[in-house]
Amino acid sequence: MKPGFDPVTLATPFFILTVLLEIALARLNLIKSRYETKDTAVSLTMGLVSTLAGLPLAAVIAAVGLWAYQHRLVTIPADAWWAWVAVFLLEDVTYYGFHRLSHERRFWWASHVNHHSSQHYNLGTALRQTWTGQVAGTWLLWVPLMWLGFPPWMVAIEKGISLVYQYWVHTEAIRRLPKPIEAVFNTPSHHRVHHARNPRYLDRNYAGILIIWDRMFGTFQAELDEEPCRYGLVHNLGTFNVLRVAFHEWIGIVRDTVRQPRHVLGWLFGPPGWSPDGSRDTSASLKAQWAAGQSAPPTSTDQEAAA
Amino acid sequence: MLTHALYIQLAGSAAAVAVLVGITAWANIARSAPPLDEDRARKLLADEFPGRTLDGLWVAVDGMGAIAKCGGMALVLCRLGDGYVARQVPWGQALAASLKDGRVIINLDDVAAPRAVIALAKWPPKGPASNNLGKDRAA
Repeated sequence: MKPGFDPVTLATPFFILTVLLEIALARLNLIKSRYETKDTAVSLTMGLVSTLAGLPLAAVIAAVGLWAYQHRLVTIPADAWWAWVAVFLLEDVTYYGFHRLSHERRFWWASHVNHHSSQHYNLGTALRQTWTGQVAGTWLLWVPLMWLGFPPWMVAIEKGISLVYQYWVHTEAIRRLPKPIEAVFNTPSHHRVHHARNPRYLDRNYAGILIIWDRMFGTFQAELDEEPCRYGLVHNLGTFNVLRVAFHEWIGIVRDTVRQPRHVLGWLFGPPGWSPDGSRDTSASLKAQWAAGQSAPPTSTDQEAAA
Repeated sequence: MLTHALYIQLAGSAAAVAVLVGITAWANIARSAPPLDEDRARKLLADEFPGRTLDGLWVAVDGMGAIAKCGGMALVLCRLGDGYVARQVPWGQALAASLKDGRVIINLDDVAAPRAVIALAKWPPKGPASNNLGKDRAA
């Protein structure tokens, strides 16, 4: 449900101006940032169409939210300061759960994957948004907040604030912020790790605004100077066709299920890369391979190189 | 329903997208992506397929891709924008790709990366692939 005050709509001119600024500063060699034309076109087109993609189910989502609020456990006053603190924290931890689910189960990854499909990491990448998020049904995760007693418009505003916050962390121009900020908040450094395809960085830093959830739930990984982030997917896309970008994982699910229907649950709800015979790569298997490589005794070639 | 205000917002956003893409093209700030040579192809393949031993390597004449033989698999590397995309397919599938107009088009059987186009002087390689390393390499 979109409230009268929609942070994302209000921030749209800011998005455009800051992308322009990042491009200009990179052109002048004042910051580290790279933009590739077709990649940028895909990111911005995905963002533009995503604003329409939410419309078909908007009425259903609003109705479900209102229904939950009508059956609320308690009435939380929207004019109380503590209510805003509470909705901020609860919305942020809900986002963490949504984001983790979106990476760890293929059905929801199919919707989220396109946000990670650029080999670049810049403010344009932030706008590479899903077209199928509402179909995937992850909006249901926020319904308990309304059932608890937060007005739907309050939850919607908080979701919007979170989305706007997450925009600015998609940049290589900002290296590290002061330690107290890095300790508590999701920052460009933390989110670069999240977008990296290096095995040690996979499935880490799901935070929306506060990084504390990752620290609490064991999914935090600091960005390491000795391991620069390589962005994109484990198997990067071989096309700039926006339809393939938007739907490739959904098509993959359908193909796999048609090929082996008795494994439908695994194809749908297994981790991305799951296969019945284990012949494909999952984040866990890639991390295990990487860890095995790290702990393997040095070969003669390694020793010669070290000498 | 689409309201008049939404139409205006969409039209404005579409115009902004077009302008930003145009400015990106003008700014020319993509990564430097020099043509592949053998060393760089090997490094990229090692990043994508760690721990694999290559039996043969064929780098595209234009440096925009490469094919490597690794046991029964073909490791395929092709340029996309200023980056590279890698896939592996059965070696027989790569061998079955025909050479037309100096380009080998390999079906990657993947909706996310349907095919790889590699410019090679000749294909398929003759004889055992491991013996062709450094001979059939077209770069």
